[in-house]
Amino acid sequence: MFLKNAWYVAANDHEVGRKPLGRVFLNEPVVMYRKEDGTVVALEDRCMHRHLPLSMGKLDGDKLQCHYHGLQYDGTGKCVRIPGQDMVPPTAKIRSYPVVERYHWVWIWMGDPALADPAKIVDYHWLDDENWGARTSYLHVKSNWQLIVDNLLDLTHLAFVHETTIGNSALVDNASVKVTRGPEEVLVTRWIINSPAPPTFVKAGGFTEPVDRWQIIDWRPPAFIRLDVGATPTGTGAPEGKRVGGIEMRNLNAVTPETENTCHYFWGQAHSWDVKNGKLSDMLLSQIQLAFLEDVAVFEAQQRNLDMIKNPPQLDINADTGVIQARRIIDRLRADEQAAMQRPQAAE
Amino acid sequence: MAEEHGWQRVAALADLAPDQPHGAKYGEREIVLASHAGQVFALAGICPHAYALMCDGFMNGSEIECPLHAAAFDIRTGKCLVGPVGTADLATYEVKVEAGEIWVRRNAGE
Repeated sequence: MFLKNAWYVAANDHEVGRKPLGRVFLNEPVVMYRKEDGTVVALEDRCMHRHLPLSMGKLDGDKLQCHYHGLQYDGTGKCVRIPGQDMVPPTAKIRSYPVVERYHWVWIWMGDPALADPAKIVDYHWLDDENWGARTSYLHVKSNWQLIVDNLLDLTHLAFVHETTIGNSALVDNASVKVTRGPEEVLVTRWIINSPAPPTFVKAGGFTEPVDRWQIIDWRPPAFIRLDVGATPTGTGAPEGKRVGGIEMRNLNAVTPETENTCHYFWGQAHSWDVKNGKLSDMLLSQIQLAFLEDVAVFEAQQRNLDMIKNPPQLDINADTGVIQARRIIDRLRADEQAAMQRPQAAE
Repeated sequence: MAEEHGWQRVAALADLAPDQPHGAKYGEREIVLASHAGQVFALAGICPHAYALMCDGFMNGSEIECPLHAAAFDIRTGKCLVGPVGTADLATYEVKVEAGEIWVRRNAGE
Protein backbone atom coordinates (compact mmCIF):
# COMPACT_ATOMS: atom_id res chain seq x y z
CA MET A 1 0.00 0.00 0.00
CA PHE A 2 1.21 3.47 -0.90
CA LEU A 3 0.21 7.06 -0.28
CA LYS A 4 -0.68 8.37 -3.73
CA ASN A 5 -1.31 12.00 -2.97
CA ALA A 6 2.22 12.98 -2.07
CA TRP A 7 5.32 14.32 -3.74
CA TYR A 8 8.08 11.79 -4.23
CA VAL A 9 11.63 12.16 -5.47
CA ALA A 10 11.83 10.61 -8.94
CA ALA A 11 15.42 11.30 -9.97
CA ASN A 12 18.55 13.32 -9.43
CA ASP A 13 18.33 16.27 -11.81
CA HIS A 14 21.38 15.16 -13.81
CA GLU A 15 19.84 11.74 -14.51
CA VAL A 16 17.06 13.24 -16.63
CA GLY A 17 18.09 14.48 -20.06
CA ARG A 18 17.47 13.92 -23.73
CA LYS A 19 17.58 10.16 -23.36
CA PRO A 20 14.30 8.78 -21.93
CA LEU A 21 14.67 7.42 -18.39
CA GLY A 22 12.24 4.69 -17.32
CA ARG A 23 11.52 4.10 -13.66
CA VAL A 24 8.69 2.51 -11.68
CA PHE A 25 7.04 4.41 -8.83
CA LEU A 26 4.24 2.97 -6.69
CA ASN A 27 3.84 0.08 -9.15
CA GLU A 28 3.37 2.49 -12.09
CA PRO A 29 5.90 2.65 -14.94
CA VAL A 30 7.00 6.24 -15.63
CA VAL A 31 9.25 7.66 -18.34
CA MET A 32 11.04 11.00 -17.85
CA TYR A 33 12.89 13.23 -20.28
CA ARG A 34 13.73 16.86 -20.87
CA LYS A 35 12.14 18.92 -23.59
CA GLU A 36 14.38 21.07 -25.75
CA ASP A 37 13.81 24.03 -23.41
CA GLY A 38 15.05 21.91 -20.48
CA THR A 39 11.74 21.33 -18.72
CA VAL A 40 11.17 17.84 -17.37
CA VAL A 41 8.28 15.68 -18.58
CA ALA A 42 6.99 12.56 -16.82
CA LEU A 43 4.62 10.25 -18.69
CA GLU A 44 3.21 6.79 -18.27
CA ASP A 45 5.91 4.45 -19.57
CA ARG A 46 3.61 2.39 -21.76
CA CYS A 47 2.58 2.90 -25.34
CA MET A 48 -1.22 2.72 -25.56
CA HIS A 49 -0.94 0.61 -28.67
CA ARG A 50 0.91 -2.54 -27.59
CA HIS A 51 2.26 -1.62 -24.15
CA LEU A 52 5.95 -1.36 -24.87
CA PRO A 53 7.76 0.91 -22.38
CA LEU A 54 8.22 4.25 -24.13
CA SER A 55 11.55 4.58 -22.35
CA MET A 56 12.85 2.13 -24.98
CA GLY A 57 12.05 4.73 -27.62
CA LYS A 58 13.71 8.00 -28.57
CA LEU A 59 13.01 11.69 -28.72
CA ASP A 60 12.00 13.58 -31.83
CA GLY A 61 12.18 17.21 -30.72
CA ASP A 62 9.84 17.36 -27.71
CA LYS A 63 7.97 14.24 -28.80
CA LEU A 64 8.63 10.74 -27.53
CA GLN A 65 8.55 8.03 -30.18
CA CYS A 66 7.74 4.41 -29.38
CA HIS A 67 10.44 1.92 -30.31
CA TYR A 68 7.89 -0.61 -31.61
CA HIS A 69 5.64 1.01 -34.27
CA GLY A 70 6.78 4.62 -34.06
CA LEU A 71 3.75 6.19 -32.38
CA GLN A 72 4.67 9.65 -31.08
CA TYR A 73 3.46 11.35 -27.90
CA ASP A 74 3.80 15.01 -26.93
CA GLY A 75 4.84 16.26 -23.49
CA THR A 76 1.25 16.12 -22.20
CA GLY A 77 0.90 12.43 -23.10
CA LYS A 78 -1.28 13.02 -26.16
CA CYS A 79 -0.55 10.76 -29.12
CA VAL A 80 0.19 13.08 -32.04
CA ARG A 81 1.38 10.69 -34.75
CA ILE A 82 0.54 7.16 -35.83
CA PRO A 83 2.73 6.07 -38.76
CA GLY A 84 0.71 4.85 -41.73
CA GLN A 85 -2.53 6.66 -40.89
CA ASP A 86 -3.58 10.29 -40.87
CA MET A 87 -6.11 10.10 -38.09
CA VAL A 88 -5.14 9.88 -34.41
CA PRO A 89 -8.03 8.72 -32.19
CA PRO A 90 -8.84 11.36 -29.54
CA THR A 91 -8.69 8.65 -26.87
CA ALA A 92 -5.01 8.06 -27.65
CA LYS A 93 -3.54 9.69 -24.57
CA ILE A 94 -1.32 8.32 -21.85
CA ARG A 95 -1.10 9.66 -18.34
CA SER A 96 1.17 12.58 -17.55
CA TYR A 97 2.40 13.33 -14.06
CA PRO A 98 3.07 16.70 -12.40
CA VAL A 99 6.82 17.23 -11.91
CA VAL A 100 8.86 19.92 -10.17
CA GLU A 101 12.62 20.37 -10.13
CA ARG A 102 13.85 21.46 -6.73
CA TYR A 103 16.98 20.96 -4.59
CA HIS A 104 18.71 19.10 -7.48
CA TRP A 105 15.97 16.50 -7.42
CA VAL A 106 13.07 15.88 -9.79
CA TRP A 107 9.85 15.51 -7.77
CA ILE A 108 6.80 13.66 -9.04
CA TRP A 109 3.16 13.59 -7.92
CA MET A 110 1.60 10.15 -8.40
CA GLY A 111 -1.91 10.94 -7.14
CA ASP A 112 -4.73 13.26 -8.21
CA PRO A 113 -3.03 16.01 -10.30
CA ALA A 114 -5.55 18.58 -9.01
CA LEU A 115 -4.02 18.21 -5.54
CA ALA A 116 -0.38 18.61 -6.63
CA ASP A 117 0.71 21.74 -4.79
CA PRO A 118 4.48 22.41 -5.08
CA ALA A 119 4.31 24.30 -1.76
CA LYS A 120 3.89 20.89 -0.11
CA ILE A 121 7.36 19.72 -1.20
CA VAL A 122 9.43 19.04 1.90
CA ASP A 123 12.34 21.46 2.40
CA TYR A 124 15.71 20.07 1.33
CA HIS A 125 17.40 23.42 0.65
CA TRP A 126 20.69 22.22 2.17
CA LEU A 127 21.32 20.38 -1.11
CA ASP A 128 21.15 23.67 -3.03
CA ASP A 129 22.40 26.37 -0.69
CA GLU A 130 25.68 28.27 -1.00
CA ASN A 131 26.06 28.21 2.79
CA TRP A 132 26.36 24.42 2.71
CA GLY A 133 28.52 21.91 0.88
CA ALA A 134 26.52 18.94 -0.36
CA ARG A 135 26.47 15.80 -2.51
CA THR A 136 23.66 13.42 -3.40
CA SER A 137 23.53 9.72 -4.13
CA TYR A 138 21.06 7.01 -5.07
CA LEU A 139 20.61 3.39 -4.08
CA HIS A 140 18.16 0.87 -5.44
CA VAL A 141 16.95 -1.31 -2.58
CA LYS A 142 15.16 -4.65 -2.74
CA SER A 143 12.97 -4.04 0.29
CA ASN A 144 9.75 -2.33 1.24
CA TRP A 145 10.24 1.43 1.67
CA GLN A 146 9.02 1.47 5.25
CA LEU A 147 11.96 -0.65 6.43
CA ILE A 148 14.21 2.30 5.53
CA VAL A 149 12.01 4.77 7.38
CA ASP A 150 12.11 2.49 10.44
CA ASN A 151 15.90 2.37 10.22
CA LEU A 152 16.39 6.13 10.10
CA LEU A 153 13.92 6.83 12.88
CA ASP A 154 15.74 4.53 15.28
CA LEU A 155 19.46 5.25 15.25
CA THR A 156 20.25 2.83 18.06
CA HIS A 157 21.25 0.47 15.22
CA LEU A 158 24.39 2.57 14.67
CA ALA A 159 26.21 0.78 17.46
CA PHE A 160 25.59 -2.61 15.85
CA VAL A 161 25.17 -2.37 12.09
CA HIS A 162 27.82 0.32 11.78
CA GLU A 163 30.24 -0.91 14.41
CA THR A 164 33.21 -0.37 12.10
CA THR A 165 32.01 2.71 10.20
CA ILE A 166 29.95 5.45 11.86
CA GLY A 167 28.95 3.46 14.97
CA ASN A 168 29.16 5.04 18.36
CA SER A 169 27.82 3.37 21.48
CA ALA A 170 27.76 6.69 23.37
CA LEU A 171 24.86 7.69 21.17
CA VAL A 172 22.86 4.76 22.46
CA ASP A 173 23.95 4.45 26.06
CA ASN A 174 24.59 7.98 27.31
CA ALA A 175 21.99 9.92 25.46
CA SER A 176 18.72 11.49 26.44
CA VAL A 177 16.11 10.79 23.79
CA LYS A 178 12.77 12.45 23.34
CA VAL A 179 10.09 11.67 20.79
CA THR A 180 7.61 14.39 19.90
CA ARG A 181 4.89 14.20 17.28
CA GLY A 182 2.55 16.41 15.31
CA PRO A 183 -0.33 15.52 12.99
CA GLU A 184 2.12 14.90 10.11
CA GLU A 185 5.51 14.91 11.78
CA VAL A 186 7.66 12.91 14.16
CA LEU A 187 10.79 14.29 15.78
CA VAL A 188 13.30 12.12 17.63
CA THR A 189 15.74 14.30 19.53
CA ARG A 190 18.89 12.94 21.11
CA TRP A 191 21.37 15.00 23.13
CA ILE A 192 24.73 14.01 24.56
CA ILE A 193 25.83 16.82 26.81
CA ASN A 194 29.44 17.47 27.82
CA SER A 195 31.12 14.50 26.19
CA PRO A 196 34.45 14.19 24.40
CA ALA A 197 34.16 14.91 20.68
CA PRO A 198 34.56 11.77 18.55
CA PRO A 199 37.60 11.67 16.22
CA THR A 200 35.71 12.68 13.06
CA PHE A 201 34.31 15.73 14.84
CA VAL A 202 37.72 16.66 16.23
CA LYS A 203 39.17 16.49 12.74
CA ALA A 204 36.38 18.55 11.22
CA GLY A 205 35.67 21.04 14.00
CA GLY A 206 39.05 21.31 15.72
CA PHE A 207 37.46 20.74 19.14
CA THR A 208 39.85 20.61 22.11
CA GLU A 209 37.22 20.78 24.86
CA PRO A 210 34.16 18.59 25.53
CA VAL A 211 31.15 19.15 23.32
CA ASP A 212 27.36 19.04 23.35
CA ARG A 213 26.21 16.77 20.53
CA TRP A 214 22.81 16.47 18.98
CA GLN A 215 21.06 14.16 16.59
CA ILE A 216 17.62 15.34 15.57
CA ILE A 217 15.58 13.11 13.28
CA ASP A 218 12.74 14.83 11.48
CA TRP A 219 10.30 12.60 9.63
CA ARG A 220 7.54 13.80 7.32
CA PRO A 221 5.20 11.49 5.44
CA PRO A 222 5.53 9.37 3.51
CA ALA A 223 9.30 8.85 3.66
CA PHE A 224 11.24 12.08 4.16
CA ILE A 225 13.81 11.80 6.91
CA ARG A 226 16.13 14.71 7.58
CA LEU A 227 18.85 14.17 10.17
CA ASP A 228 20.36 17.21 11.83
CA VAL A 229 23.62 16.24 13.57
CA GLY A 230 26.38 18.31 15.03
CA ALA A 231 28.34 19.51 18.02
CA THR A 232 29.31 22.77 19.70
CA PRO A 233 31.60 23.40 22.69
CA THR A 234 29.82 22.53 25.93
CA GLY A 235 28.10 25.43 27.61
CA THR A 236 27.73 27.62 24.52
CA GLY A 237 23.97 27.11 24.36
CA ALA A 238 23.24 24.55 21.64
CA PRO A 239 20.52 22.75 23.67
CA GLU A 240 18.77 26.11 23.99
CA GLY A 241 18.97 26.65 20.24
CA LYS A 242 22.12 28.78 19.95
CA ARG A 243 24.66 27.04 17.77
CA VAL A 244 28.05 28.77 17.77
CA GLY A 245 31.62 27.60 17.26
CA GLY A 246 30.69 24.13 16.12
CA ILE A 247 29.95 22.00 13.09
CA GLU A 248 26.72 20.73 11.65
CA MET A 249 25.72 18.16 9.07
CA ARG A 250 22.46 17.20 7.45
CA ASN A 251 21.84 13.67 6.29
CA LEU A 252 18.92 14.03 3.91
CA ASN A 253 16.86 11.05 2.88
CA ALA A 254 13.91 10.60 0.56
CA VAL A 255 12.59 7.13 -0.13
CA THR A 256 10.25 6.47 -3.06
CA PRO A 257 8.44 3.14 -3.31
CA GLU A 258 9.01 1.27 -6.55
CA THR A 259 6.92 -1.83 -5.77
CA GLU A 260 5.77 -3.27 -2.44
CA ASN A 261 9.13 -5.00 -2.12
CA THR A 262 11.55 -2.57 -3.79
CA CYS A 263 12.29 1.13 -3.53
CA HIS A 264 14.41 4.03 -4.71
CA TYR A 265 16.57 5.50 -1.98
CA PHE A 266 17.64 9.08 -2.73
CA TRP A 267 19.89 10.69 -0.17
CA GLY A 268 22.42 13.42 0.30
CA GLN A 269 24.91 14.72 2.82
CA ALA A 270 25.43 18.42 3.57
CA HIS A 271 28.06 20.04 5.78
CA SER A 272 28.26 23.50 7.35
CA TRP A 273 32.04 23.99 7.35
CA ASP A 274 34.55 24.36 4.52
CA VAL A 275 31.57 24.45 2.19
CA LYS A 276 33.52 25.08 -1.01
CA ASN A 277 35.78 22.08 -0.44
CA GLY A 278 34.45 19.57 -2.97
CA LYS A 279 36.91 16.91 -1.82
CA LEU A 280 35.42 17.15 1.68
CA SER A 281 31.88 16.83 0.28
CA ASP A 282 32.96 13.75 -1.70
CA MET A 283 34.72 12.23 1.31
CA LEU A 284 31.70 12.67 3.61
CA LEU A 285 29.37 11.22 0.99
CA SER A 286 31.54 8.17 0.43
CA GLN A 287 31.92 7.53 4.18
CA ILE A 288 28.17 7.63 4.72
CA GLN A 289 27.62 5.55 1.58
CA LEU A 290 29.74 2.76 3.11
CA ALA A 291 27.47 2.79 6.15
CA PHE A 292 24.34 2.91 4.01
CA LEU A 293 25.46 -0.16 2.08
CA GLU A 294 25.61 -1.92 5.46
CA ASP A 295 22.00 -0.83 6.00
CA VAL A 296 20.90 -2.01 2.56
CA ALA A 297 22.22 -5.51 3.37
CA VAL A 298 19.97 -5.41 6.46
CA PHE A 299 16.86 -4.16 4.59
CA GLU A 300 17.14 -6.79 1.88
CA ALA A 301 17.67 -9.61 4.39
CA GLN A 302 14.66 -8.41 6.42
CA GLN A 303 12.58 -8.39 3.24
CA ARG A 304 13.62 -11.94 2.34
CA ASN A 305 12.36 -13.10 5.73
CA LEU A 306 9.15 -11.11 5.41
CA ASP A 307 8.57 -12.64 1.96
CA MET A 308 8.83 -16.14 3.42
CA ILE A 309 6.85 -15.59 6.61
CA LYS A 310 3.69 -13.55 6.08
CA ASN A 311 2.79 -11.26 9.01
CA PRO A 312 5.11 -12.84 11.58
CA PRO A 313 4.64 -11.90 15.22
CA GLN A 314 6.72 -8.81 15.97
CA LEU A 315 8.27 -7.49 19.15
CA ASP A 316 8.21 -3.73 19.65
CA ILE A 317 10.74 -2.19 22.02
CA ASN A 318 10.92 1.29 23.47
CA ALA A 319 13.42 2.46 20.84
CA ASP A 320 10.59 1.93 18.32
CA THR A 321 8.56 4.81 19.70
CA GLY A 322 9.35 7.14 16.78
CA VAL A 323 8.98 4.32 14.24
CA ILE A 324 5.56 3.36 15.54
CA GLN A 325 4.28 6.94 15.69
CA ALA A 326 5.34 7.46 12.05
CA ARG A 327 3.67 4.23 10.94
CA ARG A 328 0.47 5.25 12.70
CA ILE A 329 0.45 8.59 10.85
CA ILE A 330 1.01 6.79 7.53
CA ASP A 331 -1.83 4.36 8.29
CA ARG A 332 -4.14 7.26 9.13
CA LEU A 333 -3.26 9.23 5.98
CA ARG A 334 -3.70 6.12 3.86
CA ALA A 335 -7.10 5.40 5.39
CA ASP A 336 -8.14 9.03 4.74
CA GLU A 337 -6.98 8.76 1.14
CA GLN A 338 -8.83 5.47 0.60
CA ALA A 339 -12.00 6.94 2.07
CA ALA A 340 -11.75 10.01 -0.17
CA MET A 341 -11.28 7.82 -3.26
CA GLN A 342 -14.34 5.75 -2.45
CA ARG A 343 -16.71 8.70 -2.24
CA PRO A 344 -19.45 8.52 -4.94
CA GLN A 345 -18.14 11.36 -7.15
CA ALA A 346 -15.09 9.24 -7.85
CA ALA A 347 -17.29 6.83 -9.83
CA GLU A 348 -17.03 7.35 -13.57
CA MET B 1 13.08 -9.41 47.53
CA ALA B 2 11.02 -7.99 50.36
CA GLU B 3 7.89 -6.22 49.18
CA GLU B 4 8.16 -2.52 49.87
CA HIS B 5 5.29 -0.28 50.78
CA GLY B 6 6.87 2.66 52.64
CA TRP B 7 7.45 6.19 51.45
CA GLN B 8 10.44 6.62 49.15
CA ARG B 9 11.92 9.72 47.57
CA VAL B 10 11.88 9.05 43.83
CA ALA B 11 12.69 12.36 42.12
CA ALA B 12 13.02 16.09 42.56
CA LEU B 13 10.06 18.20 41.53
CA ALA B 14 12.45 20.09 39.24
CA ASP B 15 13.03 16.86 37.25
CA LEU B 16 9.46 16.99 35.96
CA ALA B 17 8.42 18.99 32.92
CA PRO B 18 4.74 19.81 32.65
CA ASP B 19 2.83 17.29 30.55
CA GLN B 20 5.87 15.08 30.04
CA PRO B 21 6.13 11.66 31.67
CA HIS B 22 9.22 11.02 33.77
CA GLY B 23 10.62 7.61 34.64
CA ALA B 24 11.79 6.72 38.15
CA LYS B 25 12.35 3.70 40.38
CA TYR B 26 10.44 2.67 43.47
CA GLY B 27 12.82 0.11 44.91
CA GLU B 28 13.25 -2.28 41.98
CA ARG B 29 10.00 -1.24 40.35
CA GLU B 30 9.74 1.00 37.31
CA ILE B 31 7.33 3.83 37.90
CA VAL B 32 6.26 6.84 35.89
CA LEU B 33 5.66 10.30 37.28
CA ALA B 34 3.44 12.84 35.58
CA SER B 35 2.69 16.38 36.51
CA HIS B 36 -0.63 17.75 35.34
CA ALA B 37 -2.49 20.92 36.34
CA GLY B 38 -0.04 21.51 39.16
CA GLN B 39 -0.39 18.08 40.69
CA VAL B 40 2.02 15.14 40.59
CA PHE B 41 0.84 11.60 39.94
CA ALA B 42 2.72 8.30 40.10
CA LEU B 43 1.80 5.08 38.30
CA ALA B 44 3.34 1.72 37.50
CA GLY B 45 5.91 2.38 34.78
CA ILE B 46 5.43 -0.65 32.52
CA CYS B 47 2.47 -0.97 30.19
CA PRO B 48 0.56 -4.16 31.03
CA HIS B 49 -0.10 -4.79 27.33
CA ALA B 50 3.40 -5.35 25.89
CA TYR B 51 5.94 -4.21 28.44
CA ALA B 52 6.70 -0.75 27.07
CA LEU B 53 8.17 1.82 29.42
CA MET B 54 5.48 4.41 30.02
CA CYS B 55 8.05 7.16 30.64
CA ASP B 56 8.69 7.24 26.86
CA GLY B 57 5.01 7.82 26.21
CA PHE B 58 2.91 10.89 25.64
CA MET B 59 0.67 13.00 27.85
CA ASN B 60 -2.68 14.24 26.56
CA GLY B 61 -4.30 16.29 29.31
CA SER B 62 -4.98 13.91 32.19
CA GLU B 63 -4.16 10.86 30.06
CA ILE B 64 -0.86 9.09 29.54
CA GLU B 65 -0.43 7.19 26.27
CA CYS B 66 1.86 4.20 25.87
CA PRO B 67 4.71 4.95 23.42
CA LEU B 68 4.14 1.78 21.39
CA HIS B 69 0.57 0.61 20.92
CA ALA B 70 -1.42 3.64 22.04
CA ALA B 71 -3.03 2.30 25.20
CA ALA B 72 -4.14 5.33 27.23
CA PHE B 73 -4.58 5.52 30.97
CA ASP B 74 -6.06 8.09 33.32
CA ILE B 75 -3.09 9.36 35.30
CA ARG B 76 -5.28 10.03 38.34
CA THR B 77 -6.75 6.52 38.62
CA GLY B 78 -4.53 4.35 36.40
CA LYS B 79 -7.64 3.17 34.58
CA CYS B 80 -7.11 1.99 31.00
CA LEU B 81 -9.29 4.23 28.81
CA VAL B 82 -8.51 2.83 25.38
CA GLY B 83 -6.02 0.28 24.15
CA PRO B 84 -5.41 -3.15 22.77
CA VAL B 85 -8.04 -5.62 23.96
CA GLY B 86 -7.54 -6.83 27.49
CA THR B 87 -5.07 -4.17 28.62
CA ALA B 88 -5.15 -4.01 32.40
CA ASP B 89 -5.07 -0.81 34.44
CA LEU B 90 -1.85 0.71 35.80
CA ALA B 91 -1.28 0.47 39.53
CA THR B 92 -1.28 3.86 41.25
CA TYR B 93 1.02 5.21 43.94
CA GLU B 94 0.33 7.74 46.63
CA VAL B 95 2.35 10.94 46.12
CA LYS B 96 3.53 13.71 48.41
CA VAL B 97 5.77 16.64 47.55
CA GLU B 98 7.95 18.02 50.35
CA ALA B 99 10.61 20.70 49.98
CA GLY B 100 10.82 20.14 46.24
CA GLU B 101 11.21 16.38 46.58
CA ILE B 102 8.72 13.82 45.30
CA TRP B 103 7.90 10.92 47.62
CA VAL B 104 5.70 8.01 46.69
CA ARG B 105 4.23 5.00 48.45
CA ARG B 106 2.55 1.93 47.03
CA ASN B 107 -1.12 1.97 47.67
CA ALA B 108 -2.33 -0.64 50.13
CA GLY B 109 -3.46 -3.83 48.41
CA GLU B 110 -1.33 -3.24 45.27
